[in-house]
Amino acid sequence: MTANTLVNSKLVCVALNDKSQLAALEGTFSEAPYKKPPTQPVLYYKPRNTWNVDGAEVEWAKDFDGNDVPAMAVGASLGVVIGRETCRVSPADALDHVRGYTIVCDFSLPEESYFRPDIKGKCLDSSAPVGPDIVPAETIDNPDALTVSVFVNGEEKSVFPLANMQRSVAELISTISWIMTLQPGEVIAVGFAGNRVPVARGDKVEATIEGVGTLTNTLGGA
Amino acid sequence: MRHARIIFNGREFDVDIDANDRITTADGQELDVALDSDDITWLPPVKEPGTIFALGLNYADHATELAFEPPKEPLVFIKHANTLTGHKQVSYRPDNIEFQHYECELVAVIGKAGKNIKREDAMDYVAGYTVCNDFAIRDYLENYYRPNLRVKSRDSLLPMGPWIVDRDDVADVNNLRLTTEVNGKITQDGSTRDMIFDIPFLVEYLSKIMTLSPGDMIATGTPHGVVDMQPGDTVVCTIENICSLETRIVSEKEYYGDKY
Repeated sequence: MTANTLVNSKLVCVALNDKSQLAALEGTFSEAPYKKPPTQPVLYYKPRNTWNVDGAEVEWAKDFDGNDVPAMAVGASLGVVIGRETCRVSPADALDHVRGYTIVCDFSLPEESYFRPDIKGKCLDSSAPVGPDIVPAETIDNPDALTVSVFVNGEEKSVFPLANMQRSVAELISTISWIMTLQPGEVIAVGFAGNRVPVARGDKVEATIEGVGTLTNTLGGA
Repeated sequence: MRHARIIFNGREFDVDIDANDRITTADGQELDVALDSDDITWLPPVKEPGTIFALGLNYADHATELAFEPPKEPLVFIKHANTLTGHKQVSYRPDNIEFQHYECELVAVIGKAGKNIKREDAMDYVAGYTVCNDFAIRDYLENYYRPNLRVKSRDSLLPMGPWIVDRDDVADVNNLRLTTEVNGKITQDGSTRDMIFDIPFLVEYLSKIMTLSPGDMIATGTPHGVVDMQPGDTVVCTIENICSLETRIVSEKEYYGDKY
């Protein structure tokens, strides 16, 4: 964890919130081990050892034998920064609890299964840059109208309009706040494009949201 | 020595508790109060809680031992401090559910930062041990990142404590009786010797993935023998030579009060 992380106490990420990804996996999710599609938001944590900042290097992960892993991937999300204690709020009131917005990148091993918590894939040191800053909530009229783009070495690799999310920002804040009381400075990464972007050692990754900024990081291991 | 965090006479203290149950504050003041006094409010014992790792399916239970094929890799999930509460505090049962159960677990508290820690060095990174009750709401299980956050990340559903026992004060952590009593009746009775992945293994395994830091905790899983809990029930999770953790179950309405 870097000392100047923008995250306080927890970073909650929402997986499988891209409608087209859910549609594409409908057959898979009807079979074992899933048996039926998710009825609730699919959530995971990026714990404190993952938190990183704009401009910093993201470590290339090692496997259990100490060798470089063959592949990593990145997804980018709008990051919602909680402004005050958020406990059991309605979707209608949810956005009143937002202090501002930022960008979250989730570097990980390629997503292969959603059945068990993906500690090996998701909890890698320095794998969750958050930034570049927090823009005040009042500067964003409608967070669900934003678009998240990912560039690798200057080439556009992914464009995700948040209008394609299965669940809206307000709905997610509400649902999560009925599971756990959220505290100021906690961050929710609300949704990633279903197709994560493959990255290689030394790649420069930029995640951009108009009005929020550009989060730039470089993969290590080159 | 044992270490705890308490509120006493309206003040919060970090305290040491010696073998004679004498309670001394960080600045050397001895508190004139018995350990079992209701004048003590117990806080979760880790002062700055970090990442909480919890294990699923980590006990080979005696009854099925012969037929049991142990998992090849630990099932680990993550929890955060919103779930923590202390000894003799309350946890809630959500409305309109069928099955909520306790899980009495030995917790290893990390005391030193490290990555790629070898099994033979692993215990150097453990400061001590405590007990937790890693409640689960089975109704909320879904087969996505199972056990999912809705089951395992709820406020108040990870009581812990009352204290941390120094590592070197526990002779054989792999052979401790573990029991749970509900309303005075034993409902779970196992031993840490039946743990599939022991603490050195887990420290090595996790630290191959990520850096462990002081304040991180590893809740090592529970044996079989879980039963449903209802508001009004009192559950006590005990691990021999570590501590006994008491929790009272309340309704969701009673727990959240004005926020309900």
